[in-house]
Amino acid sequence: MEVAEVTTKDVLDVRGLVRRYGDLTAVDGVSFHIRAGETYGLLGPNGAGKTTIISMVAGLIPANEGSVRVAGLDMTPSETEAKRIIGLVPQELAIYPDLTARENLKFFGRLQGLTGKDLTRRTNEVLELIGLSDRAGDLTKKYSGGMKRRLNIGIGLLHRPALLILDEPTVGVDPQSRNSILESVERLSVEGMAVLYTTHYMEEAERLCDRIAIIDEGRFQAEGTRDQLITLTGGVDRINLRGGGSTSRAAEALSALPAVQHVDSDGAGLMLTVSDGPTALAGIVTGAGDAGMSVTSVEIVRPDLESVFLHLTGKALRD
Amino acid sequence: MNTLTAIAAVELRRFLRDKSNIFFVFIFPLMLILLLGSQFGAGSGQARVTISGPGSALAQALTAELEASGADVTATGADTARTDLSRGRADVGLFLDDADAAAFDAGRPAELDVVMAPESAAQAVLQQVRTAVQAVGLERGQLAALSGAGIPQELAGTALDQAAAEVAVPTVEIVDANDVEQEFRGLGRFDLGASQQLLLFVFLSSLTGAATLIQARRYGVVGRVMSAPVSSGQVVAGQALGRFAIAFVQGGFIMVGTALLFGVDWGNLWLSGLVLVLFCAVSAAAAMMIGSVMDNDTAAAGVGVGGGLVLGGLGGCMVPPEFFPETLAAISLATPHRWAYDALADIQRHEGTFADILPQLGVLAGMAAALLVLGAWLLRRSLSRAL
Repeated sequence: MEVAEVTTKDVLDVRGLVRRYGDLTAVDGVSFHIRAGETYGLLGPNGAGKTTIISMVAGLIPANEGSVRVAGLDMTPSETEAKRIIGLVPQELAIYPDLTARENLKFFGRLQGLTGKDLTRRTNEVLELIGLSDRAGDLTKKYSGGMKRRLNIGIGLLHRPALLILDEPTVGVDPQSRNSILESVERLSVEGMAVLYTTHYMEEAERLCDRIAIIDEGRFQAEGTRDQLITLTGGVDRINLRGGGSTSRAAEALSALPAVQHVDSDGAGLMLTVSDGPTALAGIVTGAGDAGMSVTSVEIVRPDLESVFLHLTGKALRD
Repeated sequence: MNTLTAIAAVELRRFLRDKSNIFFVFIFPLMLILLLGSQFGAGSGQARVTISGPGSALAQALTAELEASGADVTATGADTARTDLSRGRADVGLFLDDADAAAFDAGRPAELDVVMAPESAAQAVLQQVRTAVQAVGLERGQLAALSGAGIPQELAGTALDQAAAEVAVPTVEIVDANDVEQEFRGLGRFDLGASQQLLLFVFLSSLTGAATLIQARRYGVVGRVMSAPVSSGQVVAGQALGRFAIAFVQGGFIMVGTALLFGVDWGNLWLSGLVLVLFCAVSAAAAMMIGSVMDNDTAAAGVGVGGGLVLGGLGGCMVPPEFFPETLAAISLATPHRWAYDALADIQRHEGTFADILPQLGVLAGMAAALLVLGAWLLRRSLSRAL
């Protein structure tokens, strides 16, 4: 798929964005930028401020402070030129259920300035892309949830935007459709489209995003690549040993190993914090056995974005 | 322009796609007009006379005389004639029997039974019947006199015809003194009902159609539209155009449909169309207001039906405002229906010109402008609310 050419370095440049609702500051001094071909993730729980940021980036609501520039153009609610460059895929299914997929696409295509043969061609291309060509004439209220989601995304792609904004596009979608959506986003990124992707699913952010901002209570808690964010936790793994026998002696013995930083025990076994789990695993299992613990299962938990979020905010991502 | 028409067209398409709308917008009004015309239609103002009894020279002479005077004469049985009179389907009934026929044939005086319908208009028709009976009696008497003087009957008849042709007989213009009856004279059976139902349904459908505006916000479509390169002004104008298109399509359908199916005379079509355009603009603006103020589409449809019926009733779409008491008539002037009704009445009944209906057009245009400004402002606010 062709992507509209953007000459500026950053497709999106957001600086010091603030949005207040009365006494509540929903977004507090957020800054980030996205380049062509880059997928940028906003990861945070519901109510963190992701959709408010997207609403300002898409020019739906004004910012109280700060600026949004899309391909070098200021983005405000009254700015129509900058809006030509973005494609918004809202979290809710923003489609008419009493129109067909083709009619929905043509309607939104006209709003983007597409007409005549160009509109028909792009409508057919997008229907093909989202796999709805054979159901294009059906009313969308007869579609499954996954099909509606695909159409929702397709509408955002009609006019070949340089920046695609996806607000939690996989909420309420079955695993197969979710995978299809994620593959589409990966493909668009490879083709040079800049993507702003919000989610509260850690796995999606890890899979799709080149850079991720962790957001909570309207503020960026951290930003960077996945690996950069992981290092914020200290880069330690957790090893869970399950079993019986002399766990207290095993805990004492394992604490003495150089790779082991900390050992906790509960009724079911031991939980170890180690600097390099896979390398240290063999010595830990042997040491536990030697100390009289009968190990029945071993689990290595590598640090992930969930751990990072927990580390930074003190609460789980889905709280 | 593309944006405007795209928004308007999608609103119209969605409205027409709803099967229940097809029935209530296009079929139901015509059914109601047919029903009202059949049950209560006042006819064309022509005197309606029934003649019951055996076929006779008397019946033929009376029929010919009455028809010559412009009356609509129906020969029927006595029972049917009484039913027609009691239900207002006939103004005057003449009940003839064998004795009457024999007396007429013999040139003797006859006493005819006449029954008049309770409507006040029947008084004028009774006078018309009385004149016809006198004319028939006079002619019969003259023929009898000439025959008695030895003139053959054929020659006597010819001489009377010649005399009638040569002598200018003074005529009596029968004028109904009742203002209300006079107001409706000349209207076809379906004309009044058609104009009333046109206004009632165009407004009603517009208000209930406001639900689609609320749905567009609820579906999140408004937010998506606003992220496209369109201004809020274009969205508001597109929505207004969409509401107007819905109203005008229905109004146009009712006008054309009733003209073709029921022979409704809309008078000067350009002027009637102009009244419809302005009334549709008022309806569209009112729909925008409801669709902007309310957030529940089901409740909005309920308010639309209720509001549409109340305003329609007040505006003369159920009972003609000519029958309203003074206070109610004054109140009805607050509704757009009343002004449109008066304009259509002027065009349909009195061949009203543009100048004649200018006051009504001016009020409708003023109402449309005021409501459009208010509706646009409310819609803008509702767009912000949707984001």
